[in-house]
Formats: sequence, C-alpha cells, structure tokens
Amino acid sequence: MLKLSLTSLLWTLLIVATAAMATLLLDASGEDTQLRPASFNKAMERDLAFQARAAFLQKIYAPVEAQLKAGNPQSALLKLDEVGRNYPGEAHGFILRGEILRGMGVLDQAIANYVRALKLDGDYLEEAGPLSRRTEIRQLVDQGLSELTPRARSNPDNRSLATTIRELHYLQSRLAGGCE
Amino acid sequence: MNFRDRHLWIVILAGLSLGALGVLLSVWGNPQNSGICVSCFLENSAGALGLHDNPRMQYLRPELIGFVLGSMGCSALFREFRSRGGSAPLLRLFSGVFLMVGCAVFIGCPIKLFLRLTAGDLTAVAGVFGLVGGVWAGLKTMARGVQLTPAQAQKGSGLLIPGLFALLLVFLVTRPVFLLFSASGSATQHAPWLLALAAGLGLGALAQRSRLCVTGGVRDTLLLGHRSPLLYGLLAFVLSAVVFNLVTGRFNLALYGQPGAHLNHLWSFLGMALVGWLSVLIGGCPFRQLVKAGEGDADAGLVAVGMLIGAALVQSWGIAATAAGVPLYGKVAVLAGFIFVFGLSLVQREQVCG
Repeated sequence: MLKLSLTSLLWTLLIVATAAMATLLLDASGEDTQLRPASFNKAMERDLAFQARAAFLQKIYAPVEAQLKAGNPQSALLKLDEVGRNYPGEAHGFILRGEILRGMGVLDQAIANYVRALKLDGDYLEEAGPLSRRTEIRQLVDQGLSELTPRARSNPDNRSLATTIRELHYLQSRLAGGCE
Repeated sequence: MNFRDRHLWIVILAGLSLGALGVLLSVWGNPQNSGICVSCFLENSAGALGLHDNPRMQYLRPELIGFVLGSMGCSALFREFRSRGGSAPLLRLFSGVFLMVGCAVFIGCPIKLFLRLTAGDLTAVAGVFGLVGGVWAGLKTMARGVQLTPAQAQKGSGLLIPGLFALLLVFLVTRPVFLLFSASGSATQHAPWLLALAAGLGLGALAQRSRLCVTGGVRDTLLLGHRSPLLYGLLAFVLSAVVFNLVTGRFNLALYGQPGAHLNHLWSFLGMALVGWLSVLIGGCPFRQLVKAGEGDADAGLVAVGMLIGAALVQSWGIAATAAGVPLYGKVAVLAGFIFVFGLSLVQREQVCG
C-alpha cells in the first residue's frame, strides 16, 4: 500500500514538475532578458566583434588601399610593411599583399600569401560579407593551375614550384567546401 | 544468401536511403561531400551548445536528433525498445571520445568516408584501407578473448539519451538565446531543418530495423563473406551514393582539391583504423551508436555522450585536421587513442582470462 502510494506520489510530482517547467518556459517571453547579463547573448557579441573587426581593418589598411587605387603597388607594399609592424601576422595584411603581388605578376608569392591568410581566417572564403575574397581566390586558382601546372610537369625537380602547386591545391580544396 | 529474406531487403533499403540522402542533403544545403557525417554533425552540435568556441562550427544538426528519435520511435513501435546498460561504462565513454579523434583526423565518420569516396575523392582510399584494417584488427583481438562485459537490463536508463535528444529538438524549435549558430563557415551550410529532421528520422528508423552499420558491414563481411546481409546494405549504400553523385553532377574523380580533405594519407589511414578498431570493440560505428542509444542501449548512450565530449575537444584543442593537413595535436591524439585501445584490450583480456 505504501509502495503504491509512493509510486503515485512520485508520478504526481513528476507531472507537476514537468508542467511547472513547461509553464515557466512558455511564460518567459522577454522577462528573462532583464535579469540576464549582456555577455550572455554570445551571438550578438560575436556579430558585434565581427563588424568591429571589419571596420577596424578597413580603417588601418585604408592607406594601402588608397595607394592601390592610385595605381602605386610599390608604395602600397611599403605602406603594408608599415602597418605590419604594428599588427604582425594579421590575415588581412596577407590578403592585401597577395592582391598586390598578383597584380604585379608575382604569382607564386601571391598564392603563398593567400594561403597564409586563409589558414588564419576562413572568413575570406565566404560568398558574401565585408571580408569576402572568394571570387579573387577562385580566379587566382584558375590562373595558377593553367599557368603553373604545365611548368611544374616540365620541371619535376623544381621544389619551389612543387610547393606552389601544393598551395594551389590547398586553395582549391578550401574553395570546394567541406566541413572545417 | 537468401534473397527471399525480408530482413535482407530492409537492409538494402536502408543502404539505398543512406546513400541517396547522404548526397541529397548535400544538394539541399549541407556541406559538400558531407550530407551525412556523424562526427562533423556532433562537432557542429557541440559548438551550438557552447561546448567549443570555433565560431565556424556551430549549428544544432537536426539529422542527429532524427537518428536517435527515429530509432526510438521505430523500436517502440515494433516492441524492440529495451532499456539496458552497465557494460564497461567509462571505457565506452572514452571510446566515444577517441572515435571522434579518429574521425576528426580523417575529416569524417565512416559514412562520410564512403560519401567522399563515392564522390570521387581519392584521398578517402587510405581511410578505407584504415577502416578495414582497424575492423580486422578488432576482430582478431576479440577472437583472442578481448570483449567488454555484457550489458544487463536497466530500468529507465535507456530513456535518458532519447530524452536528451528530445530536449535538443525543443532547443532547435524554440532557439533559446544560449544556443549558438555560426554566421560564417561550414556550419552555415545546412539543409532546411524540417527536411534534415525528416531525413534523420527516416534513416534512424530504417537503421534501427535493419541494424545497418558501416563497420558492422565490414566486420560481418570479414566473418561471413557474401552471406552477410550487411554487406548488401553497404553495397547498396555505395551504389546509390555513386549514382546520386553522378546524377547531381557532384562526382569529381581526383586526388587534389577535394572538399574537406587533406593529403596526409598515413594519418587518414591511422585515424580510420582507430575508428574501425574501436567500433568493433564497442559494437558499432558512430552512427550505429546513436541508433542503439535510441533503442534503449545506455552503453551506446554513453558512447554518444563521449562522442559529444570528443567533438568539443577536437575543436577546442586543435586536434581536428583541415585541408592544410593534420595538426601535431591531432597526430598525438590518434596515438593516444591507440594507446587507449591497446590498454583496453590488455585489461579486458586479462579479465576474461582471469
């Protein structure tokens, strides 16, 4: 008898606790946000950080971009070195260096810089967004494969060329997508 | 093989569905060659729950929820739901962690291994050899007396993991504020959630009925040859994945430039060998563990929890391989996994003999 009543009691308590939890969740529209610290909204924090980073990069690399627009790639590289002294290892610097070097026809160095940038930050591969360089990277891969692959085949002992081809395959793989 | 056997046709149907949906989910939005990947999905889900901080790998994958709940629904419907457990719980928990290590170093679970291969990714060949080698080694150790203690009936404990995944379904629908969703990266690539959930539910139910398992298929083929029904399930999976990849224009036979693949073939081999070996010892590949957890197996449930922990760790500790290759910690973790397997085998063999 005692066991039966205990079972009934436990079932009752289980149902009451479940109903109370459901009521709390259904009734909690908005009220909880006043009690929650702002840092709890990680998604918003992350979006803010991303926007701030994009704006900051645009600001610090503005002199480089200005030189590029003016058609002075050498000066742009010098400006890039200046910025790089304050922010070494910044992915955006590698992207810009890659762009400049590609424009100057130094394909292997351009590829190496894009690879360094993508290993640091995959956001440059997004289809859209303030940092997206997907189209440029795809064009670089197409150009690299068509120009460098025949050269690598005819010079199998050229190690630096082999390294560049490996880097091209890395870019190709990242463009293809996958889970990473 | 008796082709009038109804179970055989259920296995084949399950294999065909796995191959078809594995490709179609990718067409519908999941990452390339990753329409179904238990390890990638667990990494995404661990990220969504805030268990790791890789902002590109955070999405609560509905397919995983579908696998467990589909299996639970089907087993309940056919009166096969049995709450059981108690077999070497901590060993299974750690096995789950190391399953994820092996998968992360290869970049994909055994299902994705075949999805990559059937899409023409030749880097997956090393993984196939590794998986078969690992299953073979696992069988050899089992034949020499290494086995985990048998499970026992355990009232209620088999409901905990289905309950957890039901809660994750509530999270997916209600999107509470603590859940994280990537704004960039592969986790932003996903099929519409209702479609993904439906595919997961269907596959979970079919896998429960058929007992479909990739490593189980390899194991049974090594043991029974062409008499193994799972062999035909595996062949159906591969065949349908090839056909769907060809039809949808996703077949690209090449070694280089493949999505989510690297060229460290030795580590691909070792990663999948670890997964194959462990899967034999604990009775199923990562997918099968989720399905078994859905049908009340608390031991498989602990493996699932271990896999979730492992999925978080491979991202947090820089273990997961990328297209750039396998990081140092990934290599160390795979070797640690083998040390675990050898130690486990030694301890469990002593218990059996002792």
